[in-house]
Amino acid sequence: MTSDEQLILELKQGSEPAFTELFLRYRERVWGFFRRRMNDAARAEELAQETFLAVFRGAQRYEPRASFRAYLFGIAFYILAADRRKSASHQTSAHVLPDEMPASSGMNQETTLCVRQAVERLDGGEREVLMLREFEELSYEEIAKILYVPVNTVRSRLFRARMALRDILTATPGSLGGRK
Amino acid sequence: MNSSTHPYEQEVVMAYLDGELSADRASGVAAHLRECAECAELAEQMQGVSVHLANWSVEPAPASLASGLEAARKDRALPKVDRRKGIAGWLDGRFAPLRGRWIVGAVGAAAVAVMLLAVGVQNSRKESNATALSYRQAIESKQLLAPGAHAPAVAVTGRNYTQSTAPAPPPSDNASQMAAELYRERAQISENLENDLPASRGSLPTFQPAEPMIARTASVSVIVKDFGPVEAAVKAIALRHSGYIASLNTASPQDSARTLSATLQIPSAQLESAIAELKQLGRVDQETQSGEEVTKEFTDRAARLKNARATEQRLLDVLREHTGKVKDILDAEQEIARVRGEIEQMEADQRALQTRIDFATVQLSVQEEYKASLQGAPPSTATRLRNAAVVGYRSLIESVIGIGVFALQALPILLLWGIILFLPARWMWKRFRRTAAPQS
Repeated sequence: MTSDEQLILELKQGSEPAFTELFLRYRERVWGFFRRRMNDAARAEELAQETFLAVFRGAQRYEPRASFRAYLFGIAFYILAADRRKSASHQTSAHVLPDEMPASSGMNQETTLCVRQAVERLDGGEREVLMLREFEELSYEEIAKILYVPVNTVRSRLFRARMALRDILTATPGSLGGRK
Repeated sequence: MNSSTHPYEQEVVMAYLDGELSADRASGVAAHLRECAECAELAEQMQGVSVHLANWSVEPAPASLASGLEAARKDRALPKVDRRKGIAGWLDGRFAPLRGRWIVGAVGAAAVAVMLLAVGVQNSRKESNATALSYRQAIESKQLLAPGAHAPAVAVTGRNYTQSTAPAPPPSDNASQMAAELYRERAQISENLENDLPASRGSLPTFQPAEPMIARTASVSVIVKDFGPVEAAVKAIALRHSGYIASLNTASPQDSARTLSATLQIPSAQLESAIAELKQLGRVDQETQSGEEVTKEFTDRAARLKNARATEQRLLDVLREHTGKVKDILDAEQEIARVRGEIEQMEADQRALQTRIDFATVQLSVQEEYKASLQGAPPSTATRLRNAAVVGYRSLIESVIGIGVFALQALPILLLWGIILFLPARWMWKRFRRTAAPQS
């Protein structure tokens, strides 16, 4: 199986099938990246589309200094941040997390809502680190580069986020155990 | 977590679960987790959090995502491969973020163009002002003739007397007031020039004065038949041309011609006419004129002065806003004092240079035409005898005084040696007497 990095290098050489392959590999992840962070599904779709277009247009400038996954979600994060700024300037309702969970979710609606609300209660910086780690599965170093913070900061934020989330979830039925 | 009981921090345990540790460290943490129930429980809780989060799924991506992307891609063809290489490619990559911001670039370029235009117009105005205020025009328009001006005081000492005045500003008479006014105008020109100069020496120099700045000097040597009225004539010439006498020295040796040497400071614009009048004092023996262009020096000094002032202002700003250690404040104050000293030194140099430009220096040398006189009759015998008696008397007095001086100088040391040598000499004398007595 061709690696992501090999595919983007092929795209850099002009291979459209390579782009199609990358799109198929990361379509759901990029969609999930925006969908978990946005209320508006249509807007999330637009931003996901914009992310892939940015990869397509910027393939000529790609340099294999980091993993493609970090490169892709770095672009996605940049686009999301720009959209948030734009939304803030237009004073539209821009909640960080969606108000309603997707109907097609395989998880029990109540449990999913509980987790989402717990994540929403986290500090903004800690939440972003946690989500990049848990959902985008980026390493500490990759998260640090995307957020422009030191690796140790990423680690400490992630730890605090997990501990806070543990405490929140402990208070709910079916709670986790605790080492105090 | 207590580090005495748990060798690894909780964050390290978390990093182990995330696969962020090196192999050695990961094996250490894994071994600890097998032994430490507390840490194992923490790890389990963290994994539980991850499991909970993993259950947060979203609906599948809509099909319109792929179709919309395909449509958007068709709007733009795939970029050419290796479209730009080398430096162009590097620049393309470097400035890629600005590519979509052409409006910002266009606005910035327009703003720069407007600024350059404004600066250019301002410079041309200042240059024309400097030209209008040029020293020559000021001299001509003000007609610096000062017939009623009085001469500065002269101190007479014996046969030679000297007169000295401060080089700048001139004495407080009508001519000096005009000269001072001109001096201020020149200072204004200098200030305009400084304002035109950028603060950074790196971008120097874009300003060029309207006319070259020349420090003129001249030397005139004249031989006159009638030496008497020369001094008064020289003073009158200096005053007529709004100048002043910086120094004047006359000498009247017994068996040679009398001489007058003077240094005159004459406004540069009137140098020619002043020299013409000086040459009319007598026969011109020698005349030289020279001019040193100091435009570059003047411009350079003005720029350095402005830079130093800017540095001083920055230091003052730093000092005003600084709230650090006392030592830093003292260092800043010391630096300000140093820069202030440099500024004052440069200002003094600049004023001296302006004086050299405004006032030409004329070295005047006047010599009387020497007429040898016959020696008179030899003195009489009585006079010679009297002179001899006087000389003899002086020699006698000198000898007595010399002996007295020698005695006073040598007596203490002679007494000392006498005391030291008295007892040994006495002992030797007695011994000599004893040895001589039996023989006798």
